[in-house]
Amino acid sequence: MKRILVIDDAATVRLYHRGILESAGFEVTEAVNGIEALERVAEAPFDLYLVDVNMPKLDGYGFLRELRAKDLPQAPAIMVSTEAGANDQKLAYLTGANLYLVKPVRPGRLLSHVHTLLGMTPSSEGRTS
Amino acid sequence: MNPLLDQFLSEGRDFLQSIGERLLQLEEAPGDSALMNELFRLVHTLKGNSGLFDLPEMTRVLHAAEDLMDAVRDGRIPFDRPLADCLLEAMDFVATLIDEIAEAPGDAPPSTAHHASDALRLGETLRSLLQDRARSADGADPAEEEPPAPPERPEAGASDARPSALDPIDLPEPLRADLIRRLEAGGSFCWLRYEPEEECFFKGEDPVHQMLQLGDPLWCRLESREDWPPLAELDAYRCLLRFEAILDTTPERLAEHFRYVPDQVRFEPLSQEILTAATAAEGGPASTSDRAFSAEAEWSFDLVLEAQREILALSDTPPWLDGRLRAVAASLSAAFASVGRESEIEGLEPALQAAIETRSPTPLFAWLAARHPQPHAGRATAPDDDTGGGSDRIAAAPAPGEPTSISSSDPEESIRFGRRAEDQLTSPRTLKVDQVKIDRLMNLIGEMVVAKNALPYLAGRAEEVFGVRELAREIKAQYGVINRIAEEMQDAIMQVRMMPVSFVFQRFPRLVRDIAHKLGKEVRLVMEGESTEADKNIIEALADPLVHIVRNSLDHGLETPEARQAAGKPREGRLSILARQESDRVLIEIADDGSGIDPDRIRRKAYERGLIDEAELERLTDQEAINLVFAAGFSTAEQVSDLSGRGVGMDVVRNAIARVNGSIDLRSQVGRGTTLRLSLPLSMAVTNVMIVESAGQRFGVPMDAVAETVRVARSDIRTIKRRRTTMLRGRLIPLLALNDLLALDAEQIANDDDELAVLVVRVDQEYLGIVVDDCRETIDIILKPLAGFLGGLTGYAGSALLGDGSVLLVFNPRELI
Amino acid sequence: MALEFKKTTAVARDLLGVEDAETLLEWLIKHPRGRVNLSACTHLHASNLQVLMAARPKISAWPKDRALADWLRAALTQ
Repeated sequence: MKRILVIDDAATVRLYHRGILESAGFEVTEAVNGIEALERVAEAPFDLYLVDVNMPKLDGYGFLRELRAKDLPQAPAIMVSTEAGANDQKLAYLTGANLYLVKPVRPGRLLSHVHTLLGMTPSSEGRTS
Repeated sequence: MNPLLDQFLSEGRDFLQSIGERLLQLEEAPGDSALMNELFRLVHTLKGNSGLFDLPEMTRVLHAAEDLMDAVRDGRIPFDRPLADCLLEAMDFVATLIDEIAEAPGDAPPSTAHHASDALRLGETLRSLLQDRARSADGADPAEEEPPAPPERPEAGASDARPSALDPIDLPEPLRADLIRRLEAGGSFCWLRYEPEEECFFKGEDPVHQMLQLGDPLWCRLESREDWPPLAELDAYRCLLRFEAILDTTPERLAEHFRYVPDQVRFEPLSQEILTAATAAEGGPASTSDRAFSAEAEWSFDLVLEAQREILALSDTPPWLDGRLRAVAASLSAAFASVGRESEIEGLEPALQAAIETRSPTPLFAWLAARHPQPHAGRATAPDDDTGGGSDRIAAAPAPGEPTSISSSDPEESIRFGRRAEDQLTSPRTLKVDQVKIDRLMNLIGEMVVAKNALPYLAGRAEEVFGVRELAREIKAQYGVINRIAEEMQDAIMQVRMMPVSFVFQRFPRLVRDIAHKLGKEVRLVMEGESTEADKNIIEALADPLVHIVRNSLDHGLETPEARQAAGKPREGRLSILARQESDRVLIEIADDGSGIDPDRIRRKAYERGLIDEAELERLTDQEAINLVFAAGFSTAEQVSDLSGRGVGMDVVRNAIARVNGSIDLRSQVGRGTTLRLSLPLSMAVTNVMIVESAGQRFGVPMDAVAETVRVARSDIRTIKRRRTTMLRGRLIPLLALNDLLALDAEQIANDDDELAVLVVRVDQEYLGIVVDDCRETIDIILKPLAGFLGGLTGYAGSALLGDGSVLLVFNPRELI
Repeated sequence: MALEFKKTTAVARDLLGVEDAETLLEWLIKHPRGRVNLSACTHLHASNLQVLMAARPKISAWPKDRALADWLRAALTQ
């Protein structure tokens, strides 16, 4: 089962993303900020990261920089932001995101990107392909 | 209720609380940028959360608040009281909506459309604050705020009209065939896309008019460039339209028509190639793989590849470049696999290795360009196309330019890898549990205690009725075990019910601020011990009395700055609210350094109102006089103000505290201030009561109230001033018969030695004897408040079930007398 | 007045100008099920069109002007 780390300080958003991803058969782990996310990564790397931008302690950019500096298998990361600006997107790419989506992300859309970034054809629901 | 909505509401309340606190803190320290960031983040996140639901009113207001906070954070407008007031009002509005949603039945949030006009008004107020301030502040960009002034260069429009190249035009097949036929016959058509800039309405433009003037299109499409926001948030004057049409016209005519907005349109003559390419693009990928994939997957594939291309075009070389390249490679590999093109992935790994070795994305970029040419690059040939070939972009991108522009906004960040708080993170291990669930546990343990109490009865019956002493002993032994477990469970559940007094305290900063503001007083609020805990019921019972006390202090205790100055005190009054735990009690002290209570004035008042007679007027000590403020019907307010003068006096406060077995102590010094001390039990869940008998019935009386039980010989009872009294250890104690107090039509029964059982209780530092028929054992019970019609009965603290299934009424001596 | 509000229907007449958009928006916010009658509307400024596109009310009658109606249908019925 593919493991996804959902990083967001808003419990509501975490629950929203968890609901979407779990219903598609993914294993979801949550972290409330970048520091906690790095701790989860230290335990075991994930197949995909869903990263909020604005978080206390360590924000999404900080997390991505640290993640990308690690000697680990580098999994794709989707940055989810409320800002639609080109600069925000560029900052996300500079720090190590692989896709930039603007909140709220519709379930179908999120899943199709998750499937793409996990190399899964639309029919292979959440199973390791 | 649906768990996501539930989570949103519960988190929303937390956020509102924090936002309120931060706002007040910011008033104290307007320059605290950490605080400011935190506040922005909270508002921002709350807005984001609300966007998950269809709550346009809430989102609209939060969005406006967020914009305002953003401007404050950037220093574009100053943070001051009117602004704080406005934001607080906005948060109150959001709180109202949250409460309303929480109360509504059903899974989906109810419509809050009836708040639409409020939302509009609040949104406008917030926005007007933003505009007024921005205009008056230096460095504001007038072009942004003053609609009529046309900016020199329509930057926003230009970037938004960024030609994302010709999407495959999904024309209806008959039209496509018809067009191809007419082209062959020498017709001339143009494809046009017009994306008016966002501010175009402010320049007097009407894009609909522009398009209509071009005559009937053969095909047209009109859509928005972004998803429309919820209606309540819609800015009708920010143009987001995208017009597309196929017109029977020439490029020259279109150029002439749009000569004022050339950067907002794209057009090209329609050719057979375009029409057929569109077909190919739509059918293309499906035909290269042997499986058909959904359009959604294809679309996602394109988007992901486009993103990787953009990342690979970045020219900076940060320390984490390796990781970034690997992640891009992983994304590319996955994306190709997701559309069944795994076979093309080979070559990716060598490209990645080459890229890592040279610390340059170029090898990967080249690999991608070979597999997936920039979409539509060959087809769209508009002169102002700024999305050229990928390799050009790499060469063209000024190496130092991009990283510098990023790091300039936060120079520290790029070096130190993000802000990391000093304190080590401890992830919250807290579980939010619905109150109803805790109440259920509480009820269950209550029943358990009752059921458990049946065992001694059973043991008694086993021995006395059935004569099996051995069994009786075993039952008792088992009872001991169950009893211990039940007690521990009780204790554990009580722990769960404990909540910090901050639940009540948290409202005070705002309350004090608002009232002081209203009264023109300057008050400094000091709070301590907010984390002190007590049972939920106690804390909840504390809320109203505390608010009343605080209001009293502000209203009557603390003086105006002028009066204080005249009295040689600092202009700013001080109000402190302290909480602490002492053994099994919670103590709360509310102290002000105001004018204090004048005992003479109280004496006079009390006498005028007939609360005391002339003799008492003389005899009362100052402290006794001060305590008269607790007497029913006493109000110290000379004139009733709209704040505390709501006909609620200190007697109500005292009774509310007494109802949860608390006591209140008042000390005051004229000119120096007043201090109120509340003492409350930590928990009211389990009550130790003494069982007494009277008129053939059993009653409970809380042990807290019982000082002692004595037998008083009838001959020792004297009647003084028509009241029965007795001497007990040199103290004269008034005696009252329980049967009289409870209106039971029976005489109290004495024992064989003609002695009456007297329960000595202590009420407000005074001792009082209650005559009963007999005093029995004490037991622990779970006291339940009387419900329904009985709930209105004063005099009773509640009822409890006994082990034999009977109900014990527990009376409250204070209220009986 | 180019806009006239009946109980459940907003009736647009003649030319709906740029200043009408906000009025229309407010009405549609308060009447989520409100309908819009455009039969007597000869032109409608793009800002009003944006409001209609975002609100998606039921259009009880389209403008008589065919070209305008075509564009509106393209925007509102796809």
